[in-house]
Amino acid sequence: MIHVRNLQKTYKDIQSGQFTALAGISFDAMPGQIYGLLGPNGAGKTTALRILSTVLQPSEGSAIVNGFNVTEQPEQVRRQIGFVSCNTAIYDRMTSWELVQYFGQLYGMPLDRLHSKMNALFDRFQMNEIRDVLCSKMSTGMKQKVSIVRAMIHNPPVLIFDEATSGLDILVAREVLKTVEQLRDQGKCIVFSSHIMSEVKRLCDRVAIMNRGVILAEGTPTYLAEKHQENDMEELFYQLISRSEAQLESEKNAAGAPPNLASPLTN
Amino acid sequence: MNWPTIKLIFRRELRDQLRDRRTLFTVAIMPMLLYPLMGMAMMQVAQFMRESPSRVWIVGEEKLPASPPLIVGGKFNPTFGTAESQLIELIGSTAGDGHFESLIKSATSSSDDSSSVEEILRQEMQKRKMDLAIFIPNQIHIPERPESNLETASQDSTSPPATQVFVLTDSAIDKSRIASERVNRILNQWSKEFSKETLVANEIPTSMIQGVVFTTGDVANKTGKQAAAWSKILPFIIMIWSLTGAFYPAIDLCAGEKERGTFETLLSSPAARSEIAFGKLLTVMTFSMATSFLNLLSMGFTGIFVLTKLGSGMGAGGNLPIGIPPLASIGWLLLALIPISALFSAVALAAAAFARSSKEGQYYLVPLLMISMPLMMIPMLPAAELDFGTSLIPVSGLMLLLRSLIEANYTNCLKFVAPVCAINLACCWLAVRWVIHQFNSETVLFRASERFGIGAWIKHIMRERRSLPSLGSAILCGVVILVAKFFIGFAVTAPQNFGQFALQTVIILVATIFIPSVLMALFLTRNPRKSLRLNGCKITMAAAAILAAIFLNPMFTWLTGFIMHIYPPSGDMLMLQEAVSRILGSAPGLWAIILVFAVAPAIFEEIAFRGFILSGCQSMKGKWKPILLTSLMFGLAHGVIQQTMITFVIGLVLGLIAVQTKSILPCILFHLTHNSLAVLLSQANRTVVEQSPVLRQYLYSTDGQNYQYATFPAILMSVVGVMLIIWFLQLDLKPSNRSEAYGRVPHPN
Repeated sequence: MIHVRNLQKTYKDIQSGQFTALAGISFDAMPGQIYGLLGPNGAGKTTALRILSTVLQPSEGSAIVNGFNVTEQPEQVRRQIGFVSCNTAIYDRMTSWELVQYFGQLYGMPLDRLHSKMNALFDRFQMNEIRDVLCSKMSTGMKQKVSIVRAMIHNPPVLIFDEATSGLDILVAREVLKTVEQLRDQGKCIVFSSHIMSEVKRLCDRVAIMNRGVILAEGTPTYLAEKHQENDMEELFYQLISRSEAQLESEKNAAGAPPNLASPLTN
Repeated sequence: MNWPTIKLIFRRELRDQLRDRRTLFTVAIMPMLLYPLMGMAMMQVAQFMRESPSRVWIVGEEKLPASPPLIVGGKFNPTFGTAESQLIELIGSTAGDGHFESLIKSATSSSDDSSSVEEILRQEMQKRKMDLAIFIPNQIHIPERPESNLETASQDSTSPPATQVFVLTDSAIDKSRIASERVNRILNQWSKEFSKETLVANEIPTSMIQGVVFTTGDVANKTGKQAAAWSKILPFIIMIWSLTGAFYPAIDLCAGEKERGTFETLLSSPAARSEIAFGKLLTVMTFSMATSFLNLLSMGFTGIFVLTKLGSGMGAGGNLPIGIPPLASIGWLLLALIPISALFSAVALAAAAFARSSKEGQYYLVPLLMISMPLMMIPMLPAAELDFGTSLIPVSGLMLLLRSLIEANYTNCLKFVAPVCAINLACCWLAVRWVIHQFNSETVLFRASERFGIGAWIKHIMRERRSLPSLGSAILCGVVILVAKFFIGFAVTAPQNFGQFALQTVIILVATIFIPSVLMALFLTRNPRKSLRLNGCKITMAAAAILAAIFLNPMFTWLTGFIMHIYPPSGDMLMLQEAVSRILGSAPGLWAIILVFAVAPAIFEEIAFRGFILSGCQSMKGKWKPILLTSLMFGLAHGVIQQTMITFVIGLVLGLIAVQTKSILPCILFHLTHNSLAVLLSQANRTVVEQSPVLRQYLYSTDGQNYQYATFPAILMSVVGVMLIIWFLQLDLKPSNRSEAYGRVPHPN
């Protein structure tokens, strides 16, 4: 469903000349599977997901989403995906109903089919009470619900969740995770980025641990635990990142140049 | 582009903006409330506004004649100006002014120079806080007719001097200027009356001094007068408000969306970026037009109401030049509002797309206002008229066309409607292209703040150098040349001889054109030789360039004449030409003139324009866009409008030769030949032409001084010249690897 090969992204940077956000990552995510991208801030998770959603262009490498190339067929790729970001990204001056309808229309859905789909989703997510409420008046949890419904309205085969539970209270976060699981069970291919280990352990079928634009380890949680002889996911994550940082530090000392930590395109 | 998607985005953005209180306030509430409130305030203030009286100090009042009386009851005689006399507080010299009078007496008796009297009066005026001073030094009598016959009177050259009265004002102070106008009107009337009484006293009929009576009339009807008044105000109002109305929606729709994070969501939807850009542009345009229209409406109604009230209050309502604007003018304004709003909206949107936040967006829009304001102010100048030159200025041309339309000057409008529309539509198209480019650029959409330091920036430039210059460095080079030429103009002095003139010309060429381009090629590119196009070329190309210059010369000469006919040179330009001709007369020989006017510009200008600048412009797609841009900069570098137009056309030919031959050598040869022929033609004299049978065939002169090409040979030569250009066009050299040289990165959809 998603095939990423040697994906690279570099930006020009006045201070260091060039900043590498992605240094050639490769992975595959299949239908009915949740693929987790783990990493600290600035690891390159958001850049990778932005490339998958065609918002950014890769500098090198390829990414195929449901058979469409992100560079050559961006419009077709966008029809295959639903994108949910951490900052809810919904229009404050629209009601939840208007917002979902707008995106449904952007996907070219006929109004009758769109409205029946909206009714079903609003029922399922218990959003009927807020359908005529302006998004600016909603709580963060409600906004994230609207954001998920907005991403699901055109029934995409691929869903991308970029730190979708960040900033949510435990109740809403659990609800979001439950939704993600339900979507997986429906056969959707889900890419889920997070730095919360418990979420990853609970949800992900496969995991890639990233740091500074490279994948440090990749596989099922069980495989990773066995390979690194560490059952605790958080501990495993910490060890891999610490080792990677230490290695970079020693390389930096050898080369005499400071590493570039800032990501110019990460919001 | 998918129109339903654009419509969908437009409708959403429109609804979104209509729900935004700030936008609604700016677009609708402010104009509806602000102007009526301002009008009310004006009317309130007008009630308390009284014209303040002028303090006029008169010294020597007793020396005035009894008839005609200038002063009656301590005031100026109302017969000589009822309104003025009411507004003047007359203060006479008092008994305590003995000291002043003695000062004046000594000043008037010691010298005939009136400046000492004026100095004393000035000091006294300041001390006494007077707006104006009148000093009558001597008794004024009605003169008597001399006891002599006409014959002796005509022989007598020493007629008695006119009676002198000092009237002193301070033109640096407004109150004093107003006082001067009031007093002068009264004194002129009184002086006329005094002359009449003099004639009567001397038994001379007053009809003898009537002279010629001028009867003035105004053929403009009331509608015409109103149209003239509105034609200056209305275009400016709609321009300024359409720009202002585009600002806030543009910032909210771009920078605001980035801040709220909704932009990324929209970009990951199936809508293409061009569709998003167009949807937003239509929204900004709608608000720009609405703001302009509502402001116009509110300001118009308030203005008419207030002026009518004030006018009737002053008893001069019928004389006010502004009434209800003619209906046709409203129609023209609404029609013009569409391209104006499109232009301003596109520019505002493109600038706002670059901003990371609403606050940053406001910083970008202030310079935009600063650039637009002069374009809006040009048509407000009294001397500004719609002609071919002004019609080519974006915004200004449109405003002048609008002015002519409101004044119902349709003949003039018809003459220039095509260039005005072409230029403004081209600007709209460029602005829309810029918006789409901004929406396609990752670095614009996801720009993060970077710490800026000069050192780091220089390092970055050196590190990021490409084989050939970028478009940005080419434009920078053009701007540096223009600015350097502007400033060096202040430094140079008028040359006295040919030696000074030649040295000055070459220094200017080297300092302002050659050095900036060479330095930029050395520091901003990895391959300066290639950047300056210092490549060899085939001998056929070099020969073809020389021949093209020779054969195209009649056409360029005719073009020069045509442009000079449309835009006759100004007086200053003619004086300059005359001065240059005089200096050229002292040249040691023709070779020296050719060296200065042909060889030096050909080398230095070609290295800069067809070398560095054209190489940089070629990072744009296509052949003609780089040539066009380079020619524009080449033309602008020549400063004078007539020369700019001619050199722009020559620049197109030079650019084509440079692109096709990939070398500046043929361009230098073309430039050198063209300029040399121009020098030879200007220096050709009757002796030389008459002695040469060949020249006699090709040149003719009507005045024996200025030679021109004969028509038939000129046409033949032009045809050959055009064929040579076609030959250059068909040259198919191996294309270089553009994307490698310019480091192009494909844009996302």
